[in-house]
Amino acid sequence: MITITDLIHTWPTQPQPTLNIQALHINKGERVFLHGPSGCGKSTLLGLLAGINMLQSGQIKILNTDLSTLNNAHRDRFRADHIGTIFQSFNLLPYLNPLENVILGCEFSKLRRKRLTDKKTDVTTEATRLLKALGLKDIVLTQHVSKLSIGQQQRVAAARAFIGEPELIIADEPTSSLDADNRHTFIETLFNQAKDYQATVLFVSHDNSLASLFDRQISLSDINGV
Amino acid sequence: MGYKMTLLKLAIKSSLNRKASVLLTLCTIAISVMLLLSIERVRQDAKSSFSNTISGTDLIVGARTGDIQLLLSSVFRIGHTNNAVSWQSYLDIREKKGVAWTIPISLGDSHKGHAVLGTDAAYFTHYRYGKKQHLAFQHGRPFHNAQEVVLGSDVANTLHYHIGQQIVISHGMGNTSFHHHDDNPMTIVGILAPTGTPVDKTLHIPLIAVEAMHEQNHKKPMMIGKKSQQNDHAQHQHAEDHNSHHNEHDEHDNHDHLHATLDSEPSDLIGTPQQITAFLMGFDSPLYTLQVRRNINMYKAEPLLAIMPGLTLRELWEMLDIVEKILLLFSIVVVLVSLLGMLTTLLATLSQRRRELAILRSVGARPAHIFALMSSEAILITFVGCLVGCILFYALLIVANPILQSQFGIGLTIGWLTNYELTLLGAIMAAGTLMGLLPAAKAYFYSLADGMSIKI
Repeated sequence: MITITDLIHTWPTQPQPTLNIQALHINKGERVFLHGPSGCGKSTLLGLLAGINMLQSGQIKILNTDLSTLNNAHRDRFRADHIGTIFQSFNLLPYLNPLENVILGCEFSKLRRKRLTDKKTDVTTEATRLLKALGLKDIVLTQHVSKLSIGQQQRVAAARAFIGEPELIIADEPTSSLDADNRHTFIETLFNQAKDYQATVLFVSHDNSLASLFDRQISLSDINGV
Repeated sequence: MGYKMTLLKLAIKSSLNRKASVLLTLCTIAISVMLLLSIERVRQDAKSSFSNTISGTDLIVGARTGDIQLLLSSVFRIGHTNNAVSWQSYLDIREKKGVAWTIPISLGDSHKGHAVLGTDAAYFTHYRYGKKQHLAFQHGRPFHNAQEVVLGSDVANTLHYHIGQQIVISHGMGNTSFHHHDDNPMTIVGILAPTGTPVDKTLHIPLIAVEAMHEQNHKKPMMIGKKSQQNDHAQHQHAEDHNSHHNEHDEHDNHDHLHATLDSEPSDLIGTPQQITAFLMGFDSPLYTLQVRRNINMYKAEPLLAIMPGLTLRELWEMLDIVEKILLLFSIVVVLVSLLGMLTTLLATLSQRRRELAILRSVGARPAHIFALMSSEAILITFVGCLVGCILFYALLIVANPILQSQFGIGLTIGWLTNYELTLLGAIMAAGTLMGLLPAAKAYFYSLADGMSIKI
């Protein structure tokens, strides 16, 4: 699924490299817990994986595609097609309702829309199904997002990440603003969705109490040779 | 591409989400657009209304002075004419080949601030304005004798005069004349329909009444200024006619007692004037116009000037050009200020929207999409602003039209936007789009720099 070899990344303004990863391999369907203190290069790694930051040296292969061979526009399309993202907080566009926010996940990807057509469904039906599967009630779906609790907002964000079945789900500390109970239920629902179509989940957090829920734990400080 | 629809939809929803600031920006743009369109429409229509002040007159002849001065005094009743055309010259030129009609006019007197114009019956048959329209009577009829007066519509309205009323017309220009003569009352027999020209602000009396008025003056012991001297001359030269005039006066005085019906027999309207201020001429063919104009300008008996009113009106308007240019400039500046207001709002909200940009990037939006999204917001606001501005403009036109028509005689055309106005709107749209590029470019670089990391 993901293969990283000899990755070195240095930000232009900094003298030292932020990342230096010799080798990292993540299998399809794996649920990986990536942890490390803040400032250890987590955001940089995610930016590189998502294809937003340009690769400087080394290689990142996702789904057998070498990201360094793609130009900016292709990397943006690759992200749209194959990667779903959940942020720490404030994941939603304030001017779209929850349903529209979920549909937004498909708007920039023909592939993800095609997968829905192949499943004989459409974006609205699928978005509604996902939101319900993630435990949101009907009336919430068209409410203003500001009326949603943080937990609800994160579920909407998860639904957006999953719609159109992207192979890789990147979750950047999505539970840090939730309380302990909600954290566990959120991760469980996340896993349930991922299991449906064997999605790979890369979960980034500094909260080690969650680590045990995952198939594999990776400490970024251990593999980062800087 | 499905993206375009998505982006437009996002732009609309995002704008609606920031209702207050977007609405305010929209209002300023709409009002400025309304202002620009209104000023331009009034400017255009004032120009055409101005050049419609007199039409169908081929030449205006007066004593030698400047072209524009003659036009101002004879048509607009602005300024004084010291010199005059002798009646003899008038009679002589009238006989020239190709002359279709002539209207003598004698100015210099006023009634409560309104100009008094002495003329003859030809005025009501040949004077034309606007699109070669003749003067029409709202009430009554032309004057038939020396004791009758025809009012312009404004005179009747502002002074609340009505048909059959007797008024006293004084000698001299200006509101406060040196002497009123209560012994020479005139009866209002006609009120003209509004024309939107200086005719509305004029009292029309027969030439003979002007003469009579000045003779009355002459009888008074106090004599003032040059005008009295002219009268003096007139008195001497027409001494023989004097008696007959008095007979006429007496006759009319008798008539006044029977005024209920306002009937009067047509009688001499001209009398024996010595001088008139100017006269208007119409010709059978433009060929004669040029020929006679040349003759008049080289007239031996006295120095005269013949102008073609259309040409001189255009010259006069060109003198006012600078004023209209400044008006245009001001309204353009107002539009620019409103567009700058939009730029300020868009830039101010941009930093708060960096999160929004990161979310869009995470679902696959390219920096180019971000750029398109931000610039389409500016275009959208400008477009709706222009649209609302047009609606306000038409609303204003409908409200202001009757007021402008009655107060200034400017008839606004309430038609579809002219090509010129559409060009103006196009220029505003272009400027709005250009303004939108700035926040769009800034958002583009934000989205490149921030990537998916949310920085607030």
